[in-house]
Amino acid sequence: MATNLANGISSISDDFTVKAGLAQMLKGGVIMDVTNVEQARIAEEAGAVAVMALERIPSDIRKVGGVARMSNPEMIKEIQAAVTIPVMAKARIGHIVECQILEALGVDYVDESEVLTPADDQYHVQKTDFKVPFVCGCRNLGEALRRIKEGAAFIRTKGEAGTGDVVEAVKHIRTVNAEIAQAKAALASEGELGIAKLAREIGADPVLLKHTAELGRLPVVNFAAGGVATPADAALMMQLGCDGVFVGSGIFKDALDPEHATKRARAIVKAVANWTDKRALIEASIEHGTAMKGISNAGLKEEEKLAGRGW
Amino acid sequence: MPPPSSITVGVLALQGGVIEHIALLNRASTSFPTITFHFPEVKTPEQLSLCDALIIPGGESTTMAIVARRLGLFEPLREFVKINNKPVWGTCAGLVMLAEEASATKQGGQELIGGLDVRVLRNKFGTQAQSFVADLQLGFLAEGERPFKGVFIRAPVVEEVINGNGKVKVLGTVKKPGEEEDIVAVRQGNVFGTSFHPELTGDVRVHAWWLGNVVEALSHKGKEKGLVVGRGKLDGEEA
Repeated sequence: MATNLANGISSISDDFTVKAGLAQMLKGGVIMDVTNVEQARIAEEAGAVAVMALERIPSDIRKVGGVARMSNPEMIKEIQAAVTIPVMAKARIGHIVECQILEALGVDYVDESEVLTPADDQYHVQKTDFKVPFVCGCRNLGEALRRIKEGAAFIRTKGEAGTGDVVEAVKHIRTVNAEIAQAKAALASEGELGIAKLAREIGADPVLLKHTAELGRLPVVNFAAGGVATPADAALMMQLGCDGVFVGSGIFKDALDPEHATKRARAIVKAVANWTDKRALIEASIEHGTAMKGISNAGLKEEEKLAGRGW
Repeated sequence: MPPPSSITVGVLALQGGVIEHIALLNRASTSFPTITFHFPEVKTPEQLSLCDALIIPGGESTTMAIVARRLGLFEPLREFVKINNKPVWGTCAGLVMLAEEASATKQGGQELIGGLDVRVLRNKFGTQAQSFVADLQLGFLAEGERPFKGVFIRAPVVEEVINGNGKVKVLGTVKKPGEEEDIVAVRQGNVFGTSFHPELTGDVRVHAWWLGNVVEALSHKGKEKGLVVGRGKLDGEEA
């Protein structure tokens, strides 16, 4: 039976309430990529709401090349033992067994992620089959609603991971916002028929699309991800309507030492907690210091872009 | 004494499930048609000083503590809860913040506001895979009412009442199959805490009950006095 949750985020079952509810509790927070216990502790002490345990940060995945897979469970277990905040981990798109392993490890969220090399070029994982909740990336509204239809309880922009260039994340959230506005207009002017037509065009489930149009936002929590490197980038994504921020390479890439990484982490938490407060943003930007060098998205070849993985 | 004509109930907005509470407070407030309510988000000591009562929402308690410390909110929050005795309700992470002691905290511990003479155990049930929904019998809701759907997400429980002075009242428990009964709702004076998330249910009953308590507490303080305290000026005898 459908339950209308307080903020309009709706659920179809108690199971989904619990899955989506954790994401609701992460709102206004920063989720940080970490590759070892030391980094996980830095993230927790800086005020991260969760960590994403992975073997290499996305910028190093780019550099190393080859096939990027689920992280070694041993490393994930060490991080789980080291922190009290939620621990997430990435599985390859469509890799059902990696998801099963991560679920059995007791991770708090599985990220079915384009940052890893896809395992299935036809299908994403049917996420309703799992008890562990999933977060998935999107570039537009149709993609977000396809993932939610499969059972994702949490959405993030894809952006372009590992670049430190925020342009793609901005493009993706702006596209989602514009398409939600389009859905609202279609519902207002043409009702169900307008929704059905738009649903066909963007490849979305019409019931979910109508629900999104009524809410005026995605029906689950939506974070920014993929290229967020500075406090100003993080606050920009919040001002564009994201509920929180994933920071991948931005904390630890090119950090001078653990102390510098700590400062960066704290500065980004501060920016997300105070995303409209210009004085806090000045302080956060000063504390953050030098950002990762980064790679301009415009200089990437099509085959080097990760956002194109998945559909 | 009559209830005040205007009441400001803030929701601490450092991080977490803020708008969910505001949405349910707005719905619950329709039970009090003679009172004008304001439900602002609270991020600064100045905003807190305008509040007659406060909700501390669910979220990550470690994050909230770190952000509260950086924004200079801990002392004003302690004064609000423990010196001015204004009504406060914490859900999940908010319950942790309102406890005098917490176990299973991060390395080095975490800072708490206090106000409830209890020790909470963080993440009692484990990781997200052990999060659950359970029907709760909450005695403080009107008799014969249907059970309340308790949403428990990486939830803490009250492990022990400390300083056993009888001031802490247990208002709700849950028993997962094969586990001991756990305390999931407590009240001590004007401080109320729940392990679960009524703001995620769409069921307005706990919010309406608590708002009724807020109205009553402010009425007892007296309209004038209540409002003076509510505008953040220190109450002479208590300050």
